Amino acid sequence: MEYTSSTLIGKYLRTRKIPSTACSGCGLGINHKVIIQAIAELGIEVADVIWGTSIGCAGRQTFATWKGDGFAGTHGRAYAIARGLRIAIPREKKIILTVGDGDAFGIGLLHLIHSARSNASMTVVVNDNLGYQSTGGQFGFTTPQGAKTDSSPYGMFEHNLMSDGMDVMDILKGAGATFLARHVAMDGPAAVETMKKAIANPGFSLVHMPYPCPTNFGSRHLGTRVPANIYNWIKDHAAPMGQEKPDTIWRTGVYHDARGSRPEFSQHIWDSVTRIRRTGKL
Amino acid sequence: MKRFLETGNFAITEGAILAGCRFFCGYPITPATELAEAMSMRLPQVGGVYLQGEDECAAMHLCIGAALGGMKVMTATSGPGFILYADPYGWALGCETPMVVLNSGRVGPVSGITGAPGQGEFYLTRYPTQGGNFETVVLAPNSAQESMKMVVESFYLSERLRMPVTVLADQLITDGMEDISVPENEAEMKEMGFRVWPRTHHKGPDFYPFTDALDIPPVQMGYNTGALCSDWTPTVEGFDIEEVEDHHRHAYRLIYKVRNNRNLFNHLYEKRNMDDDPDLVVVSYGTPSRVVNTAVDHARAQGMKVGALRLINLWPFPDELFSRKANYLVVELNWDGQLVREVQRAAAEGSKVNFLGTCGDLPTIPDLKESFEKLLKNQPLTRKGWVMEAW
Repeated sequence: MEYTSSTLIGKYLRTRKIPSTACSGCGLGINHKVIIQAIAELGIEVADVIWGTSIGCAGRQTFATWKGDGFAGTHGRAYAIARGLRIAIPREKKIILTVGDGDAFGIGLLHLIHSARSNASMTVVVNDNLGYQSTGGQFGFTTPQGAKTDSSPYGMFEHNLMSDGMDVMDILKGAGATFLARHVAMDGPAAVETMKKAIANPGFSLVHMPYPCPTNFGSRHLGTRVPANIYNWIKDHAAPMGQEKPDTIWRTGVYHDARGSRPEFSQHIWDSVTRIRRTGKL
Repeated sequence: MKRFLETGNFAITEGAILAGCRFFCGYPITPATELAEAMSMRLPQVGGVYLQGEDECAAMHLCIGAALGGMKVMTATSGPGFILYADPYGWALGCETPMVVLNSGRVGPVSGITGAPGQGEFYLTRYPTQGGNFETVVLAPNSAQESMKMVVESFYLSERLRMPVTVLADQLITDGMEDISVPENEAEMKEMGFRVWPRTHHKGPDFYPFTDALDIPPVQMGYNTGALCSDWTPTVEGFDIEEVEDHHRHAYRLIYKVRNNRNLFNHLYEKRNMDDDPDLVVVSYGTPSRVVNTAVDHARAQGMKVGALRLINLWPFPDELFSRKANYLVVELNWDGQLVREVQRAAAEGSKVNFLGTCGDLPTIPDLKESFEKLLKNQPLTRKGWVMEAW
């Protein structure tokens, strides 16, 4: 199979929603294609996946794009819905969630941590456009320090999950996630390879994917809506792990790979229920 | 039929299991904790799953997920947790996800008194979420036995109406121990008036019909029907849209599927000594109604022409029960007066509507009888130790 956009769209996406209503120059479509290509390369069919999203640019633009079953949860709670769904649907079905940075690392962080804690089988792709862009461009909890946004006109100076040597991945690793990775949108085939591992993991996977927003972040922080500028800016501030430069913000690659190291949530729950039902004890 | 001396929490758990509930997710909170505990014991025995959410908001979202996957689900809490359901309750209303939500009322606001009964969420159960453009269904039992039946009934209604249904109980109902009969087979369930409706799955791909029709199977994930549901205004197919006309269609369905099918549940009330158009009608629901019923019987024995109207179906509010011009006394477990406002609105022109509120403790029979006497003599109600504004 050729992995051209038109072939992938024809097989996996609803033409009614493609192209999306995203702004001109938005990088979300690249992330979206990375996921779809990984799905195609893994040989996964439309019926095998339930696609969940949330609120914001990433949620709204990817909702109902998948040809199969799909839902959009309330802001930040798609991870809790997915955990309940995980209990009720067959184990072989995949749950893929495309969400934004505010959704995952702001309002939804508690639910995200508990999904990692339980190792519920789902692939969470955090499409990070460096803040709250669908509301006009306010800073988020992974917005780079010093970034000028509509709510940080002097530069973003609040400590956040990516400042002072911290990395949001550390929290999720500590919570028990079994696969964690980061790629920026322009990582291309490397991102697809990582995404394949994430989707294949029978447990909780999260891929953090910063992508360019020319309309709000680019125009406010770089002073231009020319897409090339924000694309280059993100690329310049990303580097594979081990090749970091002093101004690297995003260390890319597989951050944590513990696939198969812990029982999966629904399997663990149903095995326990079956034992209790048969024997009256665990 | 098996008989038990047990709590309302026990009765509710058994009722839910009889109705087909196989997933419960909650969060510990007095006085609904024992319900979660009972579920954690019983559900695995019948092949069901009990989970504890990281908070109430998550708990109801987990229920949504399991319901989307085809399970009959339930969650339970008290007032401080019920307010955290606001987010998922709205989603479940909008996406027409069947489930049962139980609220065991305690004394508020906020954490208030944890171990005493309260009725502070009469309006909150009508408006459990933001945005409007929906109706809710709320049932309020007044005993352990009836709470079992109302939970079964709520599952039935939630399937047929394709929506979450709330059971509004209080601390005395869920924690109190009573004589409980649990049916053991379908024949006994039928005999006790328990109705069960099976879960069916939507064949898709359409999300909702813009009619008031009953028995539309809920949208479910995992059958590869191309089912869609979201928190945005949906098109009929389930796509998100920003068009007012689509919202009109959706809101019409959410409101009128309930309003036009009230015959499913508007028989849920109890009248006592009401056949002779009594001079005073005492209105209540939940635990206070037990004292009210006794007080009304005592008053009758003493020659006072008093009747009792107990509401079980609280929302949509049964306006038709107040079509007679009468002297009403509304008895509630709160000081601010909530049910009384609805009675004022619904009561026939020229009616008098009076209010007797208590807070944390039940009204006593002597207090109630004293109030009856005063009202029958057209005297204003007073409260010992408190100056009460006349309603």
